[in-house]
Amino acid sequence: MKTEIKICLPVYKIVYSVLFMILLSLVRGISFVHEIGIAMQVYVGLLALIFCADTYETEFQGHRFEVLALRPLAGRVKAIRRRLLIQFIYLCILSSVGYVCFYWQSPQSDDSMNPLGLYGIYMAAAAVMVLFWGILSMTLVSVGHNLWTGIGIALLLWMALNSSWGDSALGKWNIFAFTYRDVTDMGNYSWLLGTGIALLLSVIMAAAIPWTIKKRGMGI
Amino acid sequence: MSINMDNVTVTFKNKVTAVDHVSMSMEHGIYGLLGENGAGKTTLMRVLTTIIKPGEGRIDLNGIPYTEENYGKIRQRIGYLPQEINLYPDLTVRECLEYLGGLSRLTKAECKKRIDYYLERTSLTDHQRKKNRQLSGGMKRRVGLIQALLNEPEFLVVDEPTTGLDPEERIRIRNLLVDFSESRTVLFSTHVVEDLAATCNQLAVMKKGSFLYCGSVYELLEQAKGHVWICPAGTDDDIRRMEREYHVSSKQYTEEGLKIKIIGDKSPGLDCYPADVSLEDAYIYLMNYCS
Repeated sequence: MKTEIKICLPVYKIVYSVLFMILLSLVRGISFVHEIGIAMQVYVGLLALIFCADTYETEFQGHRFEVLALRPLAGRVKAIRRRLLIQFIYLCILSSVGYVCFYWQSPQSDDSMNPLGLYGIYMAAAAVMVLFWGILSMTLVSVGHNLWTGIGIALLLWMALNSSWGDSALGKWNIFAFTYRDVTDMGNYSWLLGTGIALLLSVIMAAAIPWTIKKRGMGI
Repeated sequence: MSINMDNVTVTFKNKVTAVDHVSMSMEHGIYGLLGENGAGKTTLMRVLTTIIKPGEGRIDLNGIPYTEENYGKIRQRIGYLPQEINLYPDLTVRECLEYLGGLSRLTKAECKKRIDYYLERTSLTDHQRKKNRQLSGGMKRRVGLIQALLNEPEFLVVDEPTTGLDPEERIRIRNLLVDFSESRTVLFSTHVVEDLAATCNQLAVMKKGSFLYCGSVYELLEQAKGHVWICPAGTDDDIRRMEREYHVSSKQYTEEGLKIKIIGDKSPGLDCYPADVSLEDAYIYLMNYCS
């Protein structure tokens, strides 16, 4: 596990992800505590999309795939799943810390909403976003045989879903339904449908990793 | 242990035929693979390691045909050092080898034992705590070679393993490969003809995707016999003229002045006398006069 951490969390990734969170908390204005989760969720997804895109593709950069290809597939799949798990845990911790960073803006607290409850709901939604966008971008990169193609397609999807079109066309089924929910009606949990779909798709993509690796092929 | 290739052809999407109807059989021992840049050596090695699927032809390893359903069985018998490899830059040499050993399903104890042995054999024991990014080119090649040897493959494919090594290290690596090949098959590609001369009995020479020669080193030397001469160099103008007309393989300063070694179909002149043929001379003769 320690070795996988060194492989999938290089210093440059830690630096840019921390800077991203700090910048987000500085430039994305909020007035109330309950707005923090809404302000963060889509961007946590964006960060995961970029962060996890090269989870497997990194092996192709140094021609390591030529020696890895000779190792049993089961071992490679296990390694990729471990890397995704490590990145997932790291990004969840970062999202959690990022949430606290927003308190620099001194948001007002609404007495009817428990701040800890809001934080818990945000963390659940953010965790699903990290999982979904992380696995999706890694899958698209592998299937597309190219880092930028995969990131590009995932980014287009992210923009489409994070838009007024995505909200009006998909509503509660939108993966970003948490962000677009009516904050004045906190008892409405219909956004869980969109988040549930994201979770289900993540599980399917995680199960399909052996296929994804085979699909990536050697790329020569 | 045997590897048989029959009529293997690789054509890329851009219609370039990198390997053109190549056939060869290998038993145990070291087999050399020589050829100019772009001759198709690396592509052929990638085919033999299952990284590229040939468009035509058949290959089998110990009777196991190269088909997708057999790739798992075949791959666990192969070790490969690619021409270019950049192992995990943030891992130390030992961490990297332990990681790759783990992926090869070696037990921790066995993996440790083999890593210690090969680190010693490649003079890397003192560098095992260094990160891969801190290693010199020659050290990286040696780490790459160890990862290829870790699962003690029956068939080892090494693409220019001695690149970037100092002369002493080159000898150590050559000896390691010779020892390793006692009961196994090693395919050794290099530009350094001297390395092959010191290690191989059999070799293949590739040109434009095909085998120009495939057989014993001795027979290749025999082919060039009578086509290599030593001539007194004379003036600088004479040397330039000879370089234009013949293939000059080397220049030697002797007590009688500068002498040059010439390779050609006919004797360059009366003052010239036949010379002993080196593998390099035989290779140059083959590439220029037998194709």
